Order: sequence, then C-alpha cells, then structure tokens
Amino acid sequence: MTFSLYLAMVGIGWLMIYTVGYSEDYSKGFSHFMFETQVGKQTIWIGIAFAVFLFTYIIDRKFWETFAYPIYGVGLVLLVAVLIFGREIKGATSWFAFGSFTFQPSEFAKFGTALAMAAYLSTYRVNLRQLRHQVLALGLILVPTGLILLQPDAGSALVFLSFLMLMYREGFPANVYILGFTSIVLLLLGFVYPPGQLLLGLGLLGLLALLFGLRKGRLYWLLGWGGLAAGVILFFKPAHLLYFAGGLGGLLLIFSVVNWVKKNTQLATLVLPVVLYGAMLVYVSDFTFHNFLKPHQQDRINVWLNPAKCDRQGSLYNVLQSKMAIGSGGLQGKGFLEGTLTKGNFVPEQSTDFIFCTIGEEQGFVGTFAIIGLFLLLLLRIVTIAERQRSAFAKCYAYGVLGILFVHIVVNIGMTMGLMPIIGIPLPLISKGGSSLLGFTVMIAVLLKLDGSRHRNSV
Amino acid sequence: MSDVDQTRKNYIRALIILVGVILIGRALHLQVLDGSYAELAEATAIEKLTLYPARGLIYDRNRNLLIHNNPVFDLWVTYNQVSKDMDVGAFCELLSIDTTEYKKRLNKDWSDIRYSRSKPFVFLSTISAQTYGAFQERLFEFPGFFVQPRNVRGYPQAHGAHVLGFIREVNASEVENSEGSYQPGDYIGASGLEKAYEDQLKGVKGAQFVLKDNLGRIVGSYKDGSLDTSAVAGTNLITTLDIDLQTYAEKLMVNKIGAVVAIEPATGEILLMASMPTYDPNRLTISRERGQAVQELSQDSLKPFFNRTVMAQYAPGSIFKPVLALIGLEEGAIQPSTSISCPGYYAYNNFTWGCRGHPPTPNVSRAIQYSCNTYFFQTFRRIVDQKSFYEPQVGLDTLVEHLYQFGLGRPLGVDVPWEEEGLVPTSEYYDRKYPREKGGWKSPTILSVGIGQGEIQLTTLQMANMAAIIANRGFYITPHLGKFLVKGDSLLPLASSDPWKVDIRPELFEPVIQGMMSVVEAGTGRAAGIPGISMAGKTGTVENPHGIDHSTFIAFAPAENPEIAIAVYVENAGGGGRYAAPIAGLLIEQFLNKSVHPSKKYLEDWMFQTNLISKP
Repeated sequence: MTFSLYLAMVGIGWLMIYTVGYSEDYSKGFSHFMFETQVGKQTIWIGIAFAVFLFTYIIDRKFWETFAYPIYGVGLVLLVAVLIFGREIKGATSWFAFGSFTFQPSEFAKFGTALAMAAYLSTYRVNLRQLRHQVLALGLILVPTGLILLQPDAGSALVFLSFLMLMYREGFPANVYILGFTSIVLLLLGFVYPPGQLLLGLGLLGLLALLFGLRKGRLYWLLGWGGLAAGVILFFKPAHLLYFAGGLGGLLLIFSVVNWVKKNTQLATLVLPVVLYGAMLVYVSDFTFHNFLKPHQQDRINVWLNPAKCDRQGSLYNVLQSKMAIGSGGLQGKGFLEGTLTKGNFVPEQSTDFIFCTIGEEQGFVGTFAIIGLFLLLLLRIVTIAERQRSAFAKCYAYGVLGILFVHIVVNIGMTMGLMPIIGIPLPLISKGGSSLLGFTVMIAVLLKLDGSRHRNSV
Repeated sequence: MSDVDQTRKNYIRALIILVGVILIGRALHLQVLDGSYAELAEATAIEKLTLYPARGLIYDRNRNLLIHNNPVFDLWVTYNQVSKDMDVGAFCELLSIDTTEYKKRLNKDWSDIRYSRSKPFVFLSTISAQTYGAFQERLFEFPGFFVQPRNVRGYPQAHGAHVLGFIREVNASEVENSEGSYQPGDYIGASGLEKAYEDQLKGVKGAQFVLKDNLGRIVGSYKDGSLDTSAVAGTNLITTLDIDLQTYAEKLMVNKIGAVVAIEPATGEILLMASMPTYDPNRLTISRERGQAVQELSQDSLKPFFNRTVMAQYAPGSIFKPVLALIGLEEGAIQPSTSISCPGYYAYNNFTWGCRGHPPTPNVSRAIQYSCNTYFFQTFRRIVDQKSFYEPQVGLDTLVEHLYQFGLGRPLGVDVPWEEEGLVPTSEYYDRKYPREKGGWKSPTILSVGIGQGEIQLTTLQMANMAAIIANRGFYITPHLGKFLVKGDSLLPLASSDPWKVDIRPELFEPVIQGMMSVVEAGTGRAAGIPGISMAGKTGTVENPHGIDHSTFIAFAPAENPEIAIAVYVENAGGGGRYAAPIAGLLIEQFLNKSVHPSKKYLEDWMFQTNLISKP
C-alpha cells in the first residue's frame, strides 16, 4: 500500500511537471524531450529512482543498522565538502553540479541523520529523560543543521527540527515542547506587535492567574478586577503606558506576596518567572526584528504574519500569485494543461517548490483535497508501520522519516497557501528535482525493507 | 525496550490529522469559499486586446479621395513590468522626449482608479510611423512596453475642413452614454461628415484574448482564440462634394469672411460648402501637435471653427426679392405685369427708405432687375394686408407658410451637424414684440422684411436651396452630402429623392427668372456673367448697422436647364455685385466649363488678392 502511494505521488508529480513545462517545445524529437525539457529530465530521474529503490530493497536490513553512523558521517563530510566545492545557486552553496544535473547533499544528510538518530535512540540504555542523552541526541541533529545553515539554506535546516517528533515519541519531556511552542508563539507575536502592548497582555494574564489563586478576600478582588479593567481599557488605548506598566508590576508583586503569605507559594513562584520570561522574549524578539534581521528577512515575516503591510507587487507578490493560482482553480480546476497562471510563469519556482499551485489551478479543490488526502494517508500509514515494528531501530527510523515528510508537506503546502512563511523546501516525491526524489525514494525504500522483514528478526 | 509513552503515538496521529484538516480547510477557503483570488487571477493573466478597425474612407463625387487613414502608434506600458535596468537614455532619445517627461509619463497617480501598476496604460500616443520604425527595432530591450497601431485621418486635399470634420478621442460622457460601444481611448467623429456618418464610418472593434505571463509577454491565446473577434473596417462613403470646386471656392474666398454653398438643383446634392475663414483639416488630425492647433484655432477672433454655411444666420437682403415676388404672384398681390412707380424712395408717415434711381418698373421682371425697394415694399404690404390693414396677422402667416415651403425658417435636415433654422418672423413673433396694448403692429411696422432686412435671417445653405427651388421651378430635394455607402461592390444610395414642392404655379416662375437673368445680363449682377451661358441671379447688399454692408448673391445656371445653384455671402464686402457676384460667376463657370475664360483671370486674381478682413 505504501508503495502504491509512493507510485501515485511520483506519477502525479510527473504530470504536473509536464504541464508546467508545456510551453517548452515537446515536438523536437525524443532526445530533445528527454535531455532538454524539465519533464524529460524528471523522467530520467524517475527511472534512476526506481533503480535505486530496487537496489535499496535488495540490500540486507542489517546493513542500515550497522552502517547507520558511517552513513551519517559520509553525510556530514558531504555537507562540509559542498561548502568548499559546491556550486552557488541563488545565493546558497547547496549543490554539487555534474553537467546539467545537480545533487544536493542535504537530502542525503536527512537520510543519514534519520539512520543515526534511530541507531542512537534504539540503543538499550539511552533514555531521553536524562540530560546527557538529550544533549547527545540534539547534538546529532544540530551538527548537520549547523552545516546546512552555513550554506545558507534555512529551509533544509528547518527540516531537521522534524526529529523532535521522533524524540517526543521516544520520551523527550512534553514540558519542553510546551515551553518551546509558547516561546515561539511569543517570539512571533513580538515580531508583529509592539512589545508594550504584549507586555500588558502578559501582565494581565499573570494577574488573572494570581487572582484565581486567591479565592477569598474582597479587597483583593476589588483591587484585582479594577486593575484588570483599567488594563483592558489601556490595552486598546495605550496612552499612559509607562505609568500603567509600573502600576501593573506593583500589583503583580503585591499579589505574589499575598499569595506567598497565604501559603500559595507554588502559583506565585510559577507566575512571576513566566511573566518575566515572556517579557524578556517579547523584548528580545522586538529588538532582534529591528536590529538583527535584514530587510528581506523582515519582509518574509511580514508577508507571513502581516500581509496587509506589504507591497502587493513586491514582497507579497509570490504568495499572492501562488494563492491566486490555487484560488483560480475553483472546485474542479481548469483542467490538465489548462492552467493560465502556472503556464504564464506568474508563479515562481512552479515545478519545484510551488508545484502545489499547478495542482490547485488545474485540478481545483478536488485535486488539492486528493493530494493532501494522499499525504495524510501516507503519514498515518507510516505511524502504523512504525508502531508495528518489533525492532526499536526500525520504529525510530520510521518516526524519523515520518517527521521529515511531515515537515516538508506542512511547510510546502502551507507556504503556497499563505499559511507558512516562504521557505524553499520541495513537496516530497512531487516536486521536480533529482536529489529530493532520490532522497525520499531511499528513505521510503529502506522503511519498506525494514517493515517487510520485521518478523524475521527482532532485537 | 519498554515503551512508556504509548499514548504519545495517538497525539502524533491527532497532530497529523489536525494539520491535514487545517490544510484542506485552507484549500477549501481559497478555492471554493472565497472567490476573490480567482477574480484577481482572471484580471492578471488574461488580457483583452482591442483590435481597432480601419475607419471608412471618404470620397468626393468624382471618386477623389478626401479622407484616408494614416497609421500611427500608441505606446503602452505596464508599470510593474518596466525593468529597473532599462536604458532610459536610449529610450528617450528614440522617442525624442527627455527623462523628466519619461518620469512624468510613467509615474501616474496610483490613487486614481484609472491607473494601476499592473494594468497597461498609454505611455505616449500617436507616435508617427517614422519614429516608430526606429523605435520598433529596439522595443524588445524595453520590457513592459508594447505598441498598439491606430489609424488617424489624413486629408490629401487639405480643403473642406468644415464639411469633412475631424475625429478625436471620445470624452468621458460619450463613453458613459454609449452603453459600452465606446471605450476610453476610442476615436469618434466630432464634426462634419465624420460626425454625421459616425455609425457607418467607425466600423466594428475586434477583441483578442491573450494569456500573459508575469513579464507581460503574450504566451498564447485564451481558449485557443474561440472568444476572439476580428475588427470590421468601417464603410466607405462617397459624397456629393466636388473637391475641385470646393478648393476653388476656398481660394476665391481667401482672406474673406463668409460662406459659399452650391447645390445641384435636380438632386439636392451639395457640390461645395465652404465656410471662411477655414483651416487645413490636417492640423486637427490626432497627433501630438493637435492640442496646440485646437487652442490656436479656438482662440482666433475670426472663429474658424464656426461653420458659417449652416450655423451663421444672415439677413438675406435683396436676394429675398425673387421669393417674395413669387409669393406675391401666387397670392394675387401682384400680376406679372403689375407696374409700381418709384419716386426714388418709399415713404410712409415718418418712415422713408431710399431706392436707387432706376428706370421705371412696368412689370415684376424689371422690378427684380433693378431691385426696386418700393416695388417690393408695396408687394409685401399687399400680401400682409390681403385681409385688411388692421389684420396683418392673416396675411403675414400666409406669407410665412409659403416661406416655410421654401425651406426658410426651419432646418432643412442637411447631413452636417449643428444646422441652424434661420428666422422667419411670424405674427406671433410680432405680437410678442409689439404687444396690442402698446399699439400693436401693422404692415408698415415690419416693412423691412419685404426687402430681406429686419428680423428675417437665413443660413447660406437656405439661400442656396432657395436658388435651387427657383431653378427647379418649384421643388427641392433635401440638400445632402452623403451620396453612397460602399458595401462591397455595390453602392447603397443614402439620400431620399422625394421632392418638396412649393405651392407656386409653375408659370409664375418665368417672369421672375426672366428678371433674374436680366440681373446678370444688364443689372447689378453683371460681374457674374459668363459669355455663352444663360444665368439667373440676384444680388443683395445687406445693410449692416455695425460696419460695411454684406455682399451677397444667389444664382443658377444654365437658366433653362440648371445644373448648379449657388449662394455666396461675403461679410463686410459692400455691394452684392462687387464680391459675391463675381465669386459666384467664377465658380459656376469653373463648374460648367471646367475652366475659367482668360478674360476672367483679372477677376480671379482680384479675388485671390483682396483681403477684406480687418482684424482689430
């Protein structure tokens, strides 16, 4: 079943690349078609991918577990090598070039890291509740991430965060995820809203928490609610922010002391640091946004979170064109080869990162629903596969692959529809590009091999 | 390994499904629920190109081309497709503009809804074919710019500006009132024949739907061109004008103010229609110099835009006398042989109107020949007083009815815009002017109408038509300029040939025409005479309280079987025999003989050289 999903995706990808490149001349003979057109090259890559799939499937399952670290090592070496020998395309040194074909070592590194993580986490004594093991696991991820950031290729680097899903499954503390998630939300809010306003909100939330700690005492209630009301008013009309911030801080302190005196220590000690931490994050993010981020990075964040601020013909152009292309597909789409925006090169990178636009425009909601549905099926199928493994290595590996696919799919599709910032990573198996196709092919082939032989051998 | 986190696999599943649902929900929103992105996409990718038809050509009666089409080129630009690295210097040089103008033309007021950075607008209009030739070779270097060919008008003969008219860009209210048939930037006939036959000349615009890429390049046709329509050229028009005669008239009338109209009596075809002063119609063709020309012409104190043939209303003076004679005869006020003695003036109570000393007028022919004022005052009074002296209304309205039949006092319905109706005063008019309680009016009150002065006013076209009616001995066909529409190989006649008859017995015309012939042979119109051609004419010297009298003349020839009827009106030129008659004579001779006799050359030169315009 997984294999048929794989075939379907690759097939759909081929058709979509065919339609995107349709303005190229397809009638100049076979060799021209195969070697000069986008879809011709993709056909060759698909051929290679099938061969690789078969080859991978033949290799003994033990091979991957045994050589997990060496493969990871080769990946790292390639990442270093590409920084030295690679070809710079669009400002990033991410590619080895052989004639007109290019290869991206970060794709290989994803696979290597998935193997290494699986090998490490499946080791009997490793427990992700211990700090030493946490640090080591994170280290395995962060080394290739750092190397990729040097290229720089933020998109591919981001994909390595996907191993957090594997680590979560293997017992990494949930609190870290909650803290991380809230921190990210606060950081992003800090990019968009002025820090004073956010601080006010944070303080009010803290006050509210403390109030609920004090169920008794009228005076405090009165004081508390009064402060809250004033806060709400000021939130929308922040005229005398400074005085008010002082007042709010004072109130917070008083309430903390009162809470503390009333033996409500736990709450007080939680709320105050959280508010302080939040305040710090908010200021840090505001400061970073204005002082460290380059204008084009600020633009990207604005395009994502604050589109009303952006120039429709400037930074917002790509997202807008992409959304227009998808939106113009309607329910049923314009039909195969009938896309007007995708054919007219309105959408950037439409055979690679923005290939989802072509699906959206030509196949409509029916098409996008089907593609998202297929991916959903694939992801859930991998969870099922993972959970039925007896070998911890196989299970961890499956979760690693799951995470990588998940991040690719969510970020790529989300980006084309304006839900995610524009991060240049391909849509697995569908986007044009040999490295990406081969990378995912190998990943899935190994997964199927491990799954196919799960009964034979267990650790 | 012991698995302590079994529930976590379900959280992961839940996360995957949640994210999947969010993505699908977003797709549903973009593609199905919110149509705005689809609308935006339509506007960006598919563009409708207008294909402009060639406008119909206009010919004269001898198939001489009067108006043809000249190709010019509008340069369009889409702002956001202009490359920042473009060689602006070279661009400006090719178009002979400077960089300041370049910036001004490119940076529109984007808050104005007419302009958008992503919609093409006209950067520079009506670039000549020469300029375009050099520019075209390098057009590819300037992305975002494209060229739209247009047709503007050319006038190879450079005469007949008022009759032919001009075209210009439609204005906002024309677009609004056209219910979609005109779009901003379209051309429309704004005067003359261009306006009168706009519907036939303009043709049908075509449309081409193309797909454009993000650089504004055309990448293909939309739906394989199934929605495209091709432009249909306008219909060619053959007019009744004789451009040679028109040109000759404009030359004779040079440096004079006035109007000349000539009609073929049998058909109502207008042979020439000259309003002076005139201008070279090529100056008003759509070009970058047009604005300047329009401004100069409209500020000229002589009002060259004013079409004096149909818009100027002049007192006819003595050329009115033949018509009055005909009506007097028909009404029995006089007989052909009626004799009225003239002491050299006409007096009634305190009113005295002079008459020139002339031989006795024993009949109506002589009265016309000598243009006797006394004779026609009397005739006029007899008509007006036919019921009784105290009831002039009855008589006047009878007269007015006759005048209406002569096409006076109401528009003739010529196919030239803005025709005035002239003024024929009725009893109602005088009742208002001279109210009963203040004593009212009687025939002597309005006496000057009898000799074509006073309140009565005619257009030059009406005067020429009046001559045509006499030439036809009692009928006219609505004067017109449009003769045929050319549809393929066939000619579709435009005008109706139904005659308008006047209630004058045919035999009554002969004494009047006899008198008019004597005018040319031995009267005030001798200067019009042509050896060997019988001509009937009547001069007029219109009293002008503001300056020198106006000189006017009507005529037709040959008198027995007329081929041309003409009216000439020259402002501030003095006696009718002095300028109007010789000009009419030269034109008739040119028309009938295709040349002017050498013995007349001195007259011709005199006309060419005389300047009657005294600009303040």
